[in-house]
Amino acid sequence: MELDRAARERLQGFIARAAGAEGCAITELRRLRGGAIQENWCLDADIAGGAFAGRLEAVVRTDAPSKIDESLNRAEEFALLKTALAAGVTVPEPLWLCRDPSVLGKEFFVMRRVAGAAAGHRMVKDERLRDSGEALVERLAEELARIHTITPPADGLGFLAMPEPSPALHSVNRLRHHLDRLATPHPVLEWGLRWLERNAPTRGELVLRHGDFRTGNYMVDENRLTGILDWEFAGWSDLHDDIGWFCAKCWRFGADDREAGGIGVRETFYRAYERASERSVDPGTVSYWEVMAHLRWAVIALQQAQRHVSGDEPALEMALTGHVVPGLELEILQLTGKGT
Amino acid sequence: MRDHPTGEELLIIARTVLREELMPLLPDERRYDALMVANAMAIAARQIAFGDAPERRERQSLAGLLGEPVDGDGAMAGSAAVGDLTRRLSAEIRGGAFDPSTPRHGAAHSFLLDVTVQKLRESAPKTLEAAGMA
Repeated sequence: MELDRAARERLQGFIARAAGAEGCAITELRRLRGGAIQENWCLDADIAGGAFAGRLEAVVRTDAPSKIDESLNRAEEFALLKTALAAGVTVPEPLWLCRDPSVLGKEFFVMRRVAGAAAGHRMVKDERLRDSGEALVERLAEELARIHTITPPADGLGFLAMPEPSPALHSVNRLRHHLDRLATPHPVLEWGLRWLERNAPTRGELVLRHGDFRTGNYMVDENRLTGILDWEFAGWSDLHDDIGWFCAKCWRFGADDREAGGIGVRETFYRAYERASERSVDPGTVSYWEVMAHLRWAVIALQQAQRHVSGDEPALEMALTGHVVPGLELEILQLTGKGT
Repeated sequence: MRDHPTGEELLIIARTVLREELMPLLPDERRYDALMVANAMAIAARQIAFGDAPERRERQSLAGLLGEPVDGDGAMAGSAAVGDLTRRLSAEIRGGAFDPSTPRHGAAHSFLLDVTVQKLRESAPKTLEAAGMA
């Protein structure tokens, strides 16, 4: 999507109205890289009058042309950001939601831009972070504990379905549903899902799972955490779901020996989480959810590749995402070996 | 018979030009795109190099696992294509036919591992090296 002059003016008008301002002049508007599922735009503007008068540094987040089935829409993500902010989670402040498609052609919201960078493959190689990795791991565990203080039912989050019959089996069923809609069969993923079905933990306490809590989805500026991003996969689940996703080998960006997100020690993360949440972490249950993480990422990667293959959205990046699947399958087969 | 350079050879030299001559000229923010192009070319070249042999072997092993007849070079005696057999295997795994308590559990795991290793040889050989399986 490119924004023509008219769309830019409509966006200025929307912001001015939403901010209760006399006027809004956009000084910078460019598409940010990444965001395979939505589009993110970096926006600078001068706002005249009202409570937001002055310089605005923001991100505009819109839906992409085609979306992954499980992902929430922008209005839902906006509600989650507000709930998370109220619970004390470090997130970019959500400012205004626009549900009127006549402004940009689709829904979007504006949030304050936070400083720093999120790119996972760069972060795990960052020497400065290597020294302060443990502090960052503790901080992330505390943030996750804060996210998990949100439990059902929560005001404003009624759109999140309850995972029946349990978070684990609900996930298995959803992933099978997605596999059934792909053009080709995937026996290794079926193998992994059968293992997950046979080894599913019983239903525990439900918490708000972020759903994509991993290196690459939080912003760090000068070794300081500035924001937890990408809430579009949030839902109710077991606390071990997010922990497994964070620690899974597929999200260590090659820094496999640092099991907590490629940046630090797993036990540091567990300890800090337990201290902050006053809940206990069961390592065996985390391992289970790490297998789930590989399955889930494989299915998302296949869906992204399908968007390319189907011709809906031809893009080299998505085409190549399909080729990460064999690596995930190898990990799945090793984690669910013979006899287990 | 095709003359040289073959498609595979063209991909390899084109990729070398991309990486060694063109990439240094690109601004930093486009380097990632060039790396993706180079990666796509490498995958395509490896698939061409392996040819049809891996799929023939896969079909033969799969038929054996599912108890289907095959002839000597892996061609199906019946009409079932590898895609149909894979679909059947997938359904049977989901139904529990290869659970740990079943006789073909170990054979199924070995088959799946072999197929996955071959896919990695084409898609991401470095992953195999890292796993000590190259």
